[in-house]
Amino acid sequence: MSEKSIISVLTSSPATTIGVLLVTIHLLSALLAPLYVPYGVTELAGPSMLAPGSPGHLLGTDVIGRDYLTRLVIGGRTSIFVAMLGALSAVVIGGLIGVSAAYIGGFYDDAIMRIVDTKLSIPGVLFVALCVVGFGRSIPVLTIVIAINYMPGALRIIRSQALTQVPLDYVKCARLRGESKLAVIIRELCPNVMEVVVVEFALRMSSAILAVSALSFLGLGISPPTPDWGLMVYEGIRQIYIAPWLVLLPAFLISTLVIGLNFATDGLANALGLDAARGLY
Amino acid sequence: MLTAVLRRIGLSLLILFFVSVLVFLATEVLPGDALDVFLTADDLLVMEPEQIEALRRDFGLDKPAIWRFIEWLSGAVTGDFGVTFIDKTPVSEVIWDPLLNSLLLGLVITIIAVPVALAIGSTTGYYRGRKPDAVVSSLAIIGYSIPDFVIGTLLIIFFAVWIPLFPALILVFADASVWELLKVSIMPAITVIIGHVAHLSRLLRAGFIEAMNCEFIERARLSGVPEKRIVFRHALPASVIPSLNSVALFIAGLLNGLIVIEKVFGYPGLGLQLIEAVDKREVHVVQAITLLGAVLVIGMNLLADLSIIILDPRVRSHKNE
Amino acid sequence: MGWPMPWAWTLPGAFTERFMSLLNINNLTVGYVNPSGELVPAVQDVSFGLNKGETLGIVGESGCGKSTLARAILGYCRPGSFIMGGEVLFDGEDILQMSSSQLRDLRGQRIAMVPQNPLSSLTYHMKVGPQVDEILKIHRGMDSNAARLHTLELFAGTNLPDPEQIYDRYPHEISGGQRQRVVIAGALACQPAIMVLDEPTTALDTTTEIQVLKLVKELRQENEMALIYITHDLTLTDYICKNVLVMLDGEVVEQGQVAKIFKHPRTDYTKMLIAAIPRVDAKSGAGASLPAAGAPQPLLEVDGLKFRYGQRRSLATIFKSREEPLAVDDVSFDLEHGETVGLVGESGSGKSTIANIICGLLTATTGNVVFDGQPINTPAEKRSLEFRKRIQIIFQDPLSSLNPRHRIETILTRPLKIFFGLKGKAASDRAIELLEAMELLPEHLSRFPRQLSGGQQQRVAIACAFAAKPDLILCDEVTSALDVSVQAHVLELLKAIQEKTGVACVFISHDLGVVKQVANKVIVLQKGIVAEAGPTEDVFAKPTHNYTRLLLAAASRENTEHT
Repeated sequence: MSEKSIISVLTSSPATTIGVLLVTIHLLSALLAPLYVPYGVTELAGPSMLAPGSPGHLLGTDVIGRDYLTRLVIGGRTSIFVAMLGALSAVVIGGLIGVSAAYIGGFYDDAIMRIVDTKLSIPGVLFVALCVVGFGRSIPVLTIVIAINYMPGALRIIRSQALTQVPLDYVKCARLRGESKLAVIIRELCPNVMEVVVVEFALRMSSAILAVSALSFLGLGISPPTPDWGLMVYEGIRQIYIAPWLVLLPAFLISTLVIGLNFATDGLANALGLDAARGLY
Repeated sequence: MLTAVLRRIGLSLLILFFVSVLVFLATEVLPGDALDVFLTADDLLVMEPEQIEALRRDFGLDKPAIWRFIEWLSGAVTGDFGVTFIDKTPVSEVIWDPLLNSLLLGLVITIIAVPVALAIGSTTGYYRGRKPDAVVSSLAIIGYSIPDFVIGTLLIIFFAVWIPLFPALILVFADASVWELLKVSIMPAITVIIGHVAHLSRLLRAGFIEAMNCEFIERARLSGVPEKRIVFRHALPASVIPSLNSVALFIAGLLNGLIVIEKVFGYPGLGLQLIEAVDKREVHVVQAITLLGAVLVIGMNLLADLSIIILDPRVRSHKNE
Repeated sequence: MGWPMPWAWTLPGAFTERFMSLLNINNLTVGYVNPSGELVPAVQDVSFGLNKGETLGIVGESGCGKSTLARAILGYCRPGSFIMGGEVLFDGEDILQMSSSQLRDLRGQRIAMVPQNPLSSLTYHMKVGPQVDEILKIHRGMDSNAARLHTLELFAGTNLPDPEQIYDRYPHEISGGQRQRVVIAGALACQPAIMVLDEPTTALDTTTEIQVLKLVKELRQENEMALIYITHDLTLTDYICKNVLVMLDGEVVEQGQVAKIFKHPRTDYTKMLIAAIPRVDAKSGAGASLPAAGAPQPLLEVDGLKFRYGQRRSLATIFKSREEPLAVDDVSFDLEHGETVGLVGESGSGKSTIANIICGLLTATTGNVVFDGQPINTPAEKRSLEFRKRIQIIFQDPLSSLNPRHRIETILTRPLKIFFGLKGKAASDRAIELLEAMELLPEHLSRFPRQLSGGQQQRVAIACAFAAKPDLILCDEVTSALDVSVQAHVLELLKAIQEKTGVACVFISHDLGVVKQVANKVIVLQKGIVAEAGPTEDVFAKPTHNYTRLLLAAASRENTEHT
């Protein structure tokens, strides 16, 4: 399976290639944004609701008069950052716990799985609502909440994969050599769940981006004046009749990023022989 | 089989208990309590400490946590979730109508979505790898990648702004009649269906492919059984079991979608109620809605698992070997 | 087609054969697309003929294409494979050119197939009876009642006990042998001209296997069917078939009458297959060198060992009221330094459990294990480094014993580091020594397990075990997962290294022929209880227990009939 080069995996189908391209463009643009934006994010740079294509304001301005291009480009950064960090923590921490639960078994495994079941019974938005009511909205809180939200799902799937490895003989050999539990988990088991971990990370990240935008839209996520695509869609709805681009542009950007991620992940999962069509919630 | 069923129900009740603890604790971990959350900075400036303390006693917030938890939980079992801070209305009254409205919308969506997703999933699974499958699969991925609120907003732009077919905002009250609600639920339903059917059909497709790859399908083919019978009599029943879990997942995801979509369209459901409660920092309302959501998810998972226990002959007669 | 034409008798031989044969395969090639995207032939240019009522065996090891060939005879290709050329003439018609409806007509009715694993080839959510009814309804147009009656008759014909009861059962509710009989009944339902059996007894116990084989033989004679029997076991072909086809890598390397091939094999490959069959009646090996004289006590003493599964505590077991039966029931034996004891028995006899207890993967419920005078009743984690080093185990499935993500070098140097503190170059050098003792090359160090063949992987596993310089080696079915051609080689190497190092060995196998070659003494286990024990020669020549006799009889299938 891993004999295929990364390039061949990434270009295994036209959809996958498009996906990878979209993701790369988004990531690069988000990374390099501060270098090429014409204005500051909160800078009142022009008249309000200037149509796109005006000199000095390629994409016009918003209600207050801030340059839209600037806000759009920067708007992705926060969501991507929160989503990436959250998904990464969820998958790494959840993965380690999942593998340990698979290996150690017994009451430890049962307890972990009950906790997982408990969290999975609370739909994401509700859980975030609960936390926001309690802890308020801020980037750190949001990141932690996203991480906690996706940890149980990732844990369960990585644990399933680890469970296929635990009865195998090489694990028994490690035990017989007297390797410590930690050594078995990290040296023997973790390398064999890596493929699932990578696919899970990609899946969670695309869910996380959707979640962050939706939350910002609902007013539970990123708070103004920080630009965020979801927030910008919400703010733009009031002007839908006169300035539809205020809604359409950020909507387009969120969609293309997530579509790209999902196409790429689907291709990746197929190439690795895994099933990408699993729960995203 | 009876023991398996009882064990499964017991497990669900256990999880439900843990969830209630979690929901209750979420607001207990804070410095301060529900009242502190509710009061804004302005209120704190205006009110005297004695007034705040009096309010606290009024809402019973001065009692120890365990006591309040037991009261809350025992109340919750009978439908009493306490009262709102702002005007002491029982929370159950506040959420009753929205609850029914959301259930109605959810039901409409599920009734349409599940059969459609099953048809699409089975068909694309059967023609796996060929052109129609690739095209539909790509469309499906696009479908569930676009956020619900984007689809909703786009639908509003198309069908309310440019082609004035539907009202852009729903101005129906929470206690409207079923008929009125159905009329306004069309656009929200379509929005959720587009995204979530796409995802569910992918899950069902995977389940169907799994079933078609089974060895007994090969044996049936080699015995000359016609394709139609193979699909409907051999493969489809085999795909039901992985599908049930997918449907349970779908319903859980539906809750998330409903909250967002109710906000986009202003549909007077529980999701809208939730957002308002978070805005107004009505902790008890948020707790109640969260608990109800969890009950639904746990219930769906329980149903799915019980159906598997009852339907799968291998699990059913495990004890009889 | 099917009416013999009067003038066919006067035509030249080959042409006559063409019209007289029931089945004629000409230059059949079937290919599939491998993971790298290339088209690879699974069956290459295969040609043979089959007359009415004849029996043909197709023999080969895993991957030789026999299963693909079997399915091609019914005009079927697994998804991902394609017919690349050739024809399959059945009664003069080319099956490969038939339409879907013609194929559906043909399959199950005129040519029927019995696949390998009856548990997975019967639909699990349908009762067993209706699955045979289905075939009757489709091909014979029977209604439900007629079909049911006929199915019950068929069940009775395949010696199924109590057909009425079995009719209403689900596949998992009946035993493996019964399931296979149900599948055979289904294949017989329309009295096909040809029955193709794809390794029908591989998934069964030895004793059940014999019964099913006898059944197949009887049925063939009753129904005058032509039989194509596919197997990896040459001795089975001996028992059932008149002619045989030997396949290697998709090609036919030898074909002809079984008796002739056994006496005068023409190709090297066939010769190797025949030679590799461990003969139960051959001379017994002396095992390792004789136990070291003057040793004060046995190396290993197992005393009154008992074991019961299900001792792990978790939420799942808390509510279990049933007590599991004893997997090992009062087993005792001694082992001297350098000796080899064979543990034989069928699956479920407890032999692997005993090995697991000795090495420390499991803890005995009661009983004692004493190693070199010290009791070792504890799990491996609690034992001293010394004892963990001195007892090593080799498992059955080599692919499972090696971590797929570690290179061979990592796998071999790990025990060297843990037990001897070897690092860096010293460790790699020693690893190369170990590889060479197993006839592997230094370049294998940088490979991953999946880049090696099954035999090579097992040799690495053996090298790994010997890296620790143990005093006792536990071999748990170490050759059972290997192809016959490789088994002999691996056993040779094992024997050589054992003689060189004087290691004692507990050799577990269900294959009596192999055990006879390697063991000094033998213990026969039946469901966890010692049925018989003693020196190898004695047990094999003069078995005292019924069960031993049964196993020996099953193992030495005599070539009694050529049909």
